[in-house]
Amino acid sequence: MRSRNLYIGAVFAAVVVALTIGQFALDRTATAQAQAGNQAPRFEVDPMWPKPLPNHWVLGSAIGVWVDSDDHIWIVHRSSATLAVNERPLEMQTGECCAGAPPVLEFDQAGNLLRHWGGPGEGYEWPDSNHGIFIDHKGNVWIGGNGGPDSHILKFTKDGKFLMQIGKKGARRKEGAAAGSNEGDVSNFVGGSNDQVSFGRVAKIFVDRQANEAYIADGYLNKRVAVLDADTGKMKRWWGAYGNVPDDTPLPAYDPAAQPTQQFHNPVHCADMSVDRMIYVCDRVGDRLQVFTPEGKFIKEGFFAKNTKNSGSAWDIAFSKDKEQRFIFMADGVNEKVRVIDRQTLREVTTFGDGGRQPGQFYGVHSIAIDSKGNLYTTETYEGKRLQRFVNKGLAPVKTKDQGTVWPASR
Amino acid sequence: MSIRSLVCYVAAFVATLACVAGTACAHDIPRDVTVQTFVKPDGQTLRVLARVPLRALSDVEFPRRERDFVDLERVDQALDDAARLLLSNNLELREDDTPLASPRIVSARMSLESDRSFATFDEALAHVTGPGLPADTSIYWEQGILDVLFEYPIESDVAHFSVHAAFDRLALKVVTSLQFIPPGGTLRAYLLEGDAGLVNLDPQWHQAAARFVVLGFQHILGGMDHLLFLLCIVIPFRRARTLIPIVTAFTVAHSITLIAAAYNLAPDALWFPPLIETLIAMSIVYLALENIVSARLGGRWIITFLFGLVHGFGFSFGLQHTLQFAGSHLVTSLLAFNVGIELGQLLVLAICLPLLSLLFRYKQAERVGTIILMVIVAHTAWHWMLERFDVLRQFPWPTVTAAGLASSLRWLLLLVVLAAAAWLIPLLQRRAASEPTVESSER
Repeated sequence: MRSRNLYIGAVFAAVVVALTIGQFALDRTATAQAQAGNQAPRFEVDPMWPKPLPNHWVLGSAIGVWVDSDDHIWIVHRSSATLAVNERPLEMQTGECCAGAPPVLEFDQAGNLLRHWGGPGEGYEWPDSNHGIFIDHKGNVWIGGNGGPDSHILKFTKDGKFLMQIGKKGARRKEGAAAGSNEGDVSNFVGGSNDQVSFGRVAKIFVDRQANEAYIADGYLNKRVAVLDADTGKMKRWWGAYGNVPDDTPLPAYDPAAQPTQQFHNPVHCADMSVDRMIYVCDRVGDRLQVFTPEGKFIKEGFFAKNTKNSGSAWDIAFSKDKEQRFIFMADGVNEKVRVIDRQTLREVTTFGDGGRQPGQFYGVHSIAIDSKGNLYTTETYEGKRLQRFVNKGLAPVKTKDQGTVWPASR
Repeated sequence: MSIRSLVCYVAAFVATLACVAGTACAHDIPRDVTVQTFVKPDGQTLRVLARVPLRALSDVEFPRRERDFVDLERVDQALDDAARLLLSNNLELREDDTPLASPRIVSARMSLESDRSFATFDEALAHVTGPGLPADTSIYWEQGILDVLFEYPIESDVAHFSVHAAFDRLALKVVTSLQFIPPGGTLRAYLLEGDAGLVNLDPQWHQAAARFVVLGFQHILGGMDHLLFLLCIVIPFRRARTLIPIVTAFTVAHSITLIAAAYNLAPDALWFPPLIETLIAMSIVYLALENIVSARLGGRWIITFLFGLVHGFGFSFGLQHTLQFAGSHLVTSLLAFNVGIELGQLLVLAICLPLLSLLFRYKQAERVGTIILMVIVAHTAWHWMLERFDVLRQFPWPTVTAAGLASSLRWLLLLVVLAAAAWLIPLLQRRAASEPTVESSER
């Protein structure tokens, strides 16, 4: 009996020792795994977000997204102007569904639609083709426009109360060209990248809280970054590619094999500031990001999917939410993916997304923004016409260069 | 009702409808608002820092300039009024159960909604007492934030303070984030929804214990699955002598996992709560079927212990949002919660056991009665199990990682140590009992 008890006691002791050693070894392995290797944020699409819109509303081409300080998601879209007649019978009074939603929409984290407004009103000129949305540190909503005569930007309160218009609509119209017809015809308009008052089809706005300055990605007609006083709208400085004085001379079609052009292509599609106060500018058609100081001194550039022609690969960017903003997430509306880029090296780490109509896929992924938890939001232009959320699942080892559709693992 | 008042009522109704149906309407009650507060006693002064969005303070008219920008040169009086009427008048503070006098407003100022200085007390204090926004800053009035520093005279900074933040009228949904910083102590964070009543910021052990006894009592009585499990345990053993080891095994087991979960030793994964809920339903099905087939009474305490571990995690889910009220008495509060659970169980047993005895004596033979009851219980629990498993299936199985395996080994180690103790303690007791005393050996 005594020897049997001794035997059982020895087995218990051996198991405890083995489990303790095993646990320490595994802990050490886990720590080593976390420290080593190529890691990047991993995302999954949230197919249940946002919730259906009320009133049988549908989105048009969605060409701007931002997340405000309350983590509410704001988008701007082109509504009925980009909806075919058979997409909006309710609006045409020929059927029960559907109608274009108001251009500016605010969603909460649960995907509920909160405020909605936008369109022509008294005291300002609504763009022919609104483009880009930004919510500044004072809670004001900024909107640009890339329609034919759009050469101005607008500022509203979150409730849609008009605050300020900077620039005048139609300023880029060629002398003698008639207004009201062929507004989309480029030949009726000419760039004015050194204009101190108006713009040339603005793509996106970013307001620097520290200096209270607005950085304007200007644009679809101009070839510059313009910097304004965010309260008065007064132009303070501007620059072109590599910090050059911008020149509106038309460029030849983008050629991946040619030397990079010394001017931006059209459109200059984003100009966002990072935590270390560097300005990252999207030369969309040139497949490149250029980095500048706030004064316009060129620092470096990176190319992405350099063989991409036509509409290019560098559409819009968002910075990761870690303290150093280690990663850039770049929307690429031609190759239909989000590129995850190391911000310091401008080296692409991985991509996710694919072309298609299902959740997590894209058709013209145009704009991208990030909330305080690191979740990404994308909007799609053309016939994509939607807003999607990609849930941040934390850092994970990079196993594949192109992840494709990041479908939820639970489905 | 006069025609005039009827017209007024109709007009008000139509205006309300217009506001509801339309977009944003001036002076709307906001949907949701978060009020951030710090409470710090220091010497004979208690400082309260509060931050609230101006859109929640629509009862006060803020002077404005063009385009409804707040006129910062003339706004001070309105900010003081808002601070007093809407904040301090709805904030009751007590020092050792004595209400504090009205506070002094040291500073009330406007900030931008993107300001992040309320991350810590020191940053917030520096912000509120530092230079304000330049007078020419353009802030649309509903997009501003009111920051206030109140000072209350107190007798001692080591007194026991309690707070009643009744800010629930500021919005349809109000959350008050309150951080209490006692002298030399660690910061305590509370998240209070609506009007949460009087909250002891530094509860004494008996106050925390009393609160958690009540919570435990309410929790067990509100958990039908736990009660059915209890019924399954006791139905074959309706005598105290046989019940005591089984109920003790259940209590010890659920206390272990409840305390472990409170110290963040449970897996922090989305699949874990539905897994536990499914296992709880499964435990009821198992015991009900075992009772039908005829229970192996000798081994019941072991299975009850194992299922008790699972139920302890289940109890912990009900505790997650209330542990903030434990103050510095986490263990006391957890034990008190367990006491509440036991009291609830005793109450249920006190009602069930006589009823079962009466049932089996006068209405139905014990064996048949047990089978009927257990079939009903098993049927109910079976449906719970399937429903909960459906929820569980929506979560991916965790990928096997070194960190996950290490965590599993820690739990296995605990179980092995417990098993060794269960084997060793009776062995030592038997040995001690069998050893002859000195007196008898000398004889």
